[in-house]
Amino acid sequence: MSNAQEPLLGRRILLVEDEYVIAMEMERWLRGAGAEVIGPVSNVEHALDRIATEANSLDAAILDVNLGHGERVYPIADRLDALGVPYLFATGDVRIGAEPAYGNRIRLEKPILSFELLKAIEALLTLERVIDPLSS
Amino acid sequence: MSDLEQILKRQRVLADFGEFTLSSDDIDAVLTEACRLVGEALGTGRAKILEIQNDGQCLFVRAGIGWAAGVVGHLRLPMNEYSSETFAISESKPLFIRDIREEPRFGVPPFMKEAGVIALANVPIRLPGGKAYGLLQVDATEPRDFGPQDTEFLRTYASILGPVIDRLQTVRTLRFTEERFRLVVENARDYAIFTTDAQDRITDWYAGAEDVYGWSAEEATGQPAAIIFTPEDLMVGQDATEIGTALRDGSAPNVRWHLRKDGTRVFIEGVTTTLRSGDGTLRGFLKIGQDVTERREADEALRESEARFRQFGEASSDLLWIRNAGTLQFEYVSPAFEAIYGRSRESVVTGDTLARWADLIHPEDREGTLAALRQVQGGMRVTHEFRIVRASDGEMRWIETSDFPLLDDEGRVHRIAGIAKDMTDQKAGAARLTVLVDELQHRSRNLLGVVAAVASRTLDAGGSATETFETRLKALSRAQGLLSRFGSDTVEVGALVRAELAAHTDADPPKVVVSGPDVHLTARQVQNFALALHELTTNAVKYGALKGVDGELAVDWTVQRDPKARRWLCLTWTESGVAVPPETVTRRGYGRELIENALSYALQARTTYELGRDGVRCRIELPLA
Repeated sequence: MSNAQEPLLGRRILLVEDEYVIAMEMERWLRGAGAEVIGPVSNVEHALDRIATEANSLDAAILDVNLGHGERVYPIADRLDALGVPYLFATGDVRIGAEPAYGNRIRLEKPILSFELLKAIEALLTLERVIDPLSS
Repeated sequence: MSDLEQILKRQRVLADFGEFTLSSDDIDAVLTEACRLVGEALGTGRAKILEIQNDGQCLFVRAGIGWAAGVVGHLRLPMNEYSSETFAISESKPLFIRDIREEPRFGVPPFMKEAGVIALANVPIRLPGGKAYGLLQVDATEPRDFGPQDTEFLRTYASILGPVIDRLQTVRTLRFTEERFRLVVENARDYAIFTTDAQDRITDWYAGAEDVYGWSAEEATGQPAAIIFTPEDLMVGQDATEIGTALRDGSAPNVRWHLRKDGTRVFIEGVTTTLRSGDGTLRGFLKIGQDVTERREADEALRESEARFRQFGEASSDLLWIRNAGTLQFEYVSPAFEAIYGRSRESVVTGDTLARWADLIHPEDREGTLAALRQVQGGMRVTHEFRIVRASDGEMRWIETSDFPLLDDEGRVHRIAGIAKDMTDQKAGAARLTVLVDELQHRSRNLLGVVAAVASRTLDAGGSATETFETRLKALSRAQGLLSRFGSDTVEVGALVRAELAAHTDADPPKVVVSGPDVHLTARQVQNFALALHELTTNAVKYGALKGVDGELAVDWTVQRDPKARRWLCLTWTESGVAVPPETVTRRGYGRELIENALSYALQARTTYELGRDGVRCRIELPLA
């Protein structure tokens, strides 16, 4: 399914990131790897809207934790958990360990390089395939 | 010996005895001589004087002649009905026994039998006033008839002895009293005792006075008592005042500094008492004083130490307190209590002070706080935090207290003490600092992400990419610099605009005009806003109003409210007098993308950007927090 050029071909990935230039870069990397980017969106409200309209077609999500003005990404994480969509955190906030409910999620620390992000998404999707039969 | 000779001899004995009593005040010597003379006069060579002692229980052999060692001054005979001695005393008349072997009525003391006494004469001695003193006893080793001459002589002799003994006893008692007085005053070295005459001149100066004042008895006697007064007391007539009070009241307190011979001073606590003879005539004054200089200095040092401690406690803005280790009741509470607890000190130092204090503690922390106190009672040092509800305004405050035991000489916890302070503000400060550090962490990591993204895009373009990248980096750096310079999380819009322009042009009005009200942007807004401004500025430098001499730039802004009453910053960037080359009109680089998209994406801003015929017109509408 995946190939060396476009390992994320056909994957639909939600991108939540409030920093414009970072969002644009990540979007570029994901598209380059063949993925279809949902978003990017910069706040919780828009993200929940997108999740609602994309229904069950999301494959994974990349979530920035701190969305500015004190807004945190956790409501989105909870929604994705409910839908069974795997996600990872991409964050500048090193204190995520203080939130025990999310402490065992994959967490990438900014600044993030493109190959780091793509490998983490691939790992996330692979893990999902392994877990899927067990949880169903 | 003829009767006449005998009478003369006995009269001479009486005369000798009379003379002897004039020459001696020693009662034992006088009585011994009395026995010797009477033994000689009656030719027995043996006599003794028995003194009633122990409230009439026994007779003490007070003096005697012709007796073995261990009798005179040692023996005591019980007074009983079988003794001739007792009989004579109780009958109060002389008793003569010719031969004791023929007298079955009376027993004879063993020491007298051993001495071979056969005959005896018992003559009672009475003191003036008739009180019985004892007995004059003359003993003979042959049976003897005591004739009228003998009995009359002995009665006369005994009647002389009575007054003599009485006088000697009085002398002895007086001497004993005087001796006792002397011993007392001479040994009372801690007390300066002296007497003065009616004119207050020193008459007797005892050892204690010598020690305390330094003058010898010889030097002091005859001097006015004023020599021990200080010059300042003499100036106000204190010595005379004191004598006046003593004359009026019988005595006067004397509590003041006095002068020693060497000029140093001693503090005396004493009293001056008037001495009057029986008829009330003033004899002089008795002055007794104690040197309390050292005690007074110690008292003063203690007072000073207490004052120092109190001053320390009173001045401290921290609460200092001391409790009894047993009852945990307050013994001391410093005034800072009132500011910290918002209640008067009196309200917690009366009644059950522990309970009253505990009432001020937040109910959830009360048990833990009392437990901490009990640990200190057990000898531990404890630092403990608890909440109180401040009585003055009902506000909850955090108190930190460091408590420690105070031990007595045996190492037992005697008191417990502590220092407490209101930590509420510090705690809030610490919490805020934690938030700031978190924020800084987040911001700097995000910034690195931004830098990486900008680098990636800029350097991909090639050409003069490095320079473009560096100027973008500098714009970011300026924005961060302004954030840290303001010492808060905000930057003023005007400062941001001017800093960006100043980095690229020296132009002044009217070429460049910047105007607008004081509006602050948050850290997050600043970063994106600075990037957009930077792109506008570099575009103007490369292609627009800041390139040649003709163009002009106006940057102005206002604050407006939308229908939902949200505040918006509305900023316009207007370039004019610029001939716009056709190729730039179609140019849509990363810079323009940043201007048009970054603010709207991240900050929900609305941006319009257009290239008119004489330059760029850009409008940015940004919702304020």
